[in-house]
Amino acid sequence: MAIPVRIGVAAAGAILAAALPLVVKSPFALDVLIRILLFAAIGTAWNLLGGYAKQFSLGHSAFFGLGAYTSTLLQIDLGVSPWIGMLAGGVVAALASLPIGWLCFRLRGPYFTIATIATAQMLMLVFLKLRDFAWGAEGTTIPNLGSAPLMMQFAGKAGYYYVTLALLLLGLAVTAWIERSRIGYYLVALGEEQDAAEAIGINVPQVKRRIFMISAFLTAMAGTFYVQYIYFIDPQTVFNFSISIEAALVSIVGGVGTLFGPLVGAVLLETTSTLLQSRLGSIAGVQLTTYSLILMAVILWRPTGILGYFAELVARRRAKRAER
Amino acid sequence: MADALVVSSLAKRFGGLAAVQDVSFTVREGETLALIGPNGAGKTTAFNLITGFYRPDAGSVRAFGSEIVGLRPYQVCARGLARTFQVAKPFGEMTVLDNVMTGAFLRDPAPEAARSKAREAIDFVGLSARERTTARDLTTIDQRRLEMARALATQPKVLLLDEVMAGLNPAEVDQAVSLVHKLAGRGLTIVIVEHLMRAVMAVAKHIVVLDHGQKIAEGAPDDVVRDPEVIRAYLGSSYAR
Amino acid sequence: MVEIVAQAVINGLLIGGIYALVSIGVTLIFGVVKIVNFAQGEFVMLGMYMSYFLGTGLGVDPIVSLVVTMPVLFVAGVLIQHFLIRRVLGQNDLPQIFLTFALSLLILNVSLMAFTANYRTLHTPYSEEALHFAGLYIPVAKLIAFVVAMALSGVLWAFLHATDLGKAMRAASQNREVAQLMGINPNRVFAVALGIALALAGAAGSLLMPFYAAYPMVGQVFVLMAFVAVVLGTLGNVIGALVASLLMGVAESLGIQFIGADSGLIVVFLLLLATLALRPRGLAAGVQR
Repeated sequence: MAIPVRIGVAAAGAILAAALPLVVKSPFALDVLIRILLFAAIGTAWNLLGGYAKQFSLGHSAFFGLGAYTSTLLQIDLGVSPWIGMLAGGVVAALASLPIGWLCFRLRGPYFTIATIATAQMLMLVFLKLRDFAWGAEGTTIPNLGSAPLMMQFAGKAGYYYVTLALLLLGLAVTAWIERSRIGYYLVALGEEQDAAEAIGINVPQVKRRIFMISAFLTAMAGTFYVQYIYFIDPQTVFNFSISIEAALVSIVGGVGTLFGPLVGAVLLETTSTLLQSRLGSIAGVQLTTYSLILMAVILWRPTGILGYFAELVARRRAKRAER
Repeated sequence: MADALVVSSLAKRFGGLAAVQDVSFTVREGETLALIGPNGAGKTTAFNLITGFYRPDAGSVRAFGSEIVGLRPYQVCARGLARTFQVAKPFGEMTVLDNVMTGAFLRDPAPEAARSKAREAIDFVGLSARERTTARDLTTIDQRRLEMARALATQPKVLLLDEVMAGLNPAEVDQAVSLVHKLAGRGLTIVIVEHLMRAVMAVAKHIVVLDHGQKIAEGAPDDVVRDPEVIRAYLGSSYAR
Repeated sequence: MVEIVAQAVINGLLIGGIYALVSIGVTLIFGVVKIVNFAQGEFVMLGMYMSYFLGTGLGVDPIVSLVVTMPVLFVAGVLIQHFLIRRVLGQNDLPQIFLTFALSLLILNVSLMAFTANYRTLHTPYSEEALHFAGLYIPVAKLIAFVVAMALSGVLWAFLHATDLGKAMRAASQNREVAQLMGINPNRVFAVALGIALALAGAAGSLLMPFYAAYPMVGQVFVLMAFVAVVLGTLGNVIGALVASLLMGVAESLGIQFIGADSGLIVVFLLLLATLALRPRGLAAGVQR
């Protein structure tokens, strides 16, 4: 797609999405939409590192949790608004990504993935132990202030919907900007052939470090939102491994390294999961069983994901036309 | 002419094996130097030492007067030394144009400028018709062309080509040879590692011969091929009498 | 004090034998097939449930049930290689990493649906028996598990060094091209490697059953332990994985003794992260292709 067309499509999509709560009033439907947007936003953040640079993290819950805890601690201990806490959480997560990256980027391929799992699980265990500083394993509820938009609390679900929509649009804007700038090319290059990337003058460690920071920042913002939305925080919730899994899954299913892949993946996975739950009730294991089957199917038949497959078709047609 | 690259007493061991020992040579600005030798002679290792992929145990490499040992590969490239790989390493999912743009970004951070520089390089190696082809779908020779274009896009002063003729058929070798001539014609300093003597004789005015990690001969092509040490290294001792 | 340390070391060595079975499996698959099997822990879990149901249903002793769990999981390994892993070999990292990861998620969550999250324990006549020796306490069930684990490791080592197929597997793990030149059929070798690795995981499950509770998430501790051990002992090296596993068991046991009862996992993660921090270059070199 030519760039103006893409911007047009994106703008139309954004306007449609913004108008949706005027039509959709059911709290249940809004809740589903919020989950879709939330995981699309997290997936978009993951996609910068995992999709473009092919550094497959399964430890993004670390940043989600850090974002959630930073804003909650600031809010409960100091009365700071979660809006500010959200940015503070992003900064904390971005800083935390430096030592985590220092450790994990020493490894390539599957061992990078294992290292990210270990660091995130480690952080969860630490927060389980932090009883005095952060409520330990019991966690805490977030004081319900009723309708308080300045404290990121809203009377109806529509308010939360707009926050997640904004988070997603921010992630998409950052990704679109990176895609077209030099760093976007560098990410794909180092993900494909690290040695060749270094040989043409790319400072690979620096590029990885920077994209990890951006990815961590965006993930942490989603973490702040999530605890505001569910009015509760504990380590098992915000550092849960399933957050790391879903961040990766929505991108892989939708198409790694594509702008809208995580959104497409989130729509597919969350819709499936909602349908299943309405049919079967919430049986432990159903959701992840389904996700793992979808993931396997994508890997075996369409490893570039849904959008990746379309992009290949378009590219092939274009190449044919150019040769003629 | 000034010295582009001065390699002195370079050495590298892997475990018990001396891959490169006490190798010294000088590449003058604008010349094409070939590094030849039998399999396992240490040619590619020497390349990796010069370009920062390996750190030498001893010795120095000076590029245009300044020491480059200890620099990371991307820093070496920024100093004006670009290399290709023996096994081509294209960014497979990217198009040819995007591959070369990625190289051009080193000197031109703005996409538009990088794109036009990339097109120049692609045109130079004769790959313009494949500009929008995905790199992994290219033929072997086109992948080599792409590697050269990508290296060229970083606007190097020295180009190090690692066995760019390997796996090509005779007609393609001729194309590659004329491409190297064309590069040299632009005033580029070229260091080429090559197996194929026919190609070496066609492109290089200056040859350095390695065997078992050591330099055994150096000089003009005609002298080098008559050197008994070289003949022995290539053909075995029974031929050198 | 000395006795407490000695007791902790013994406990660690005994459980380390189980870790070794899991680690050797992971390292064998990585060495031969060049795939990291994220699902290895789930096969330990399946081994445990098989022994549990054989024990409660038919009264089969869990140690005896090895003769069922090992062959069944061997066949499972061959099938998984043939129908799943074979299809992603030679592709890039994404399918290679996420295929076995998806398999792990699938097995775990299907088990969760089938068996619920409840802990299940199996009582055997020797479950509470223990030897007392110089003030030390050695549970019989763990001792049996350790001895059998070591014996199985020994048999595997002999197989890898004395048989043609074993030698072919070692050749394949050292140099793919050379192995192919020797006329080794990689698919057959890969299938056997997967089969053996899963059989070892199944054995670990059966051996654990007399003294360890089965639940769907049980494999995760073991697979993480195995990852650390395999990294410590350099990838693809059976003896290295064995020694590292025993050390891990001891380190974990000392950690539990001196840091706090629920911190076994923290010790594992600290060990993993310390390993990464201290052995970066060698590791990276071993992992990149």
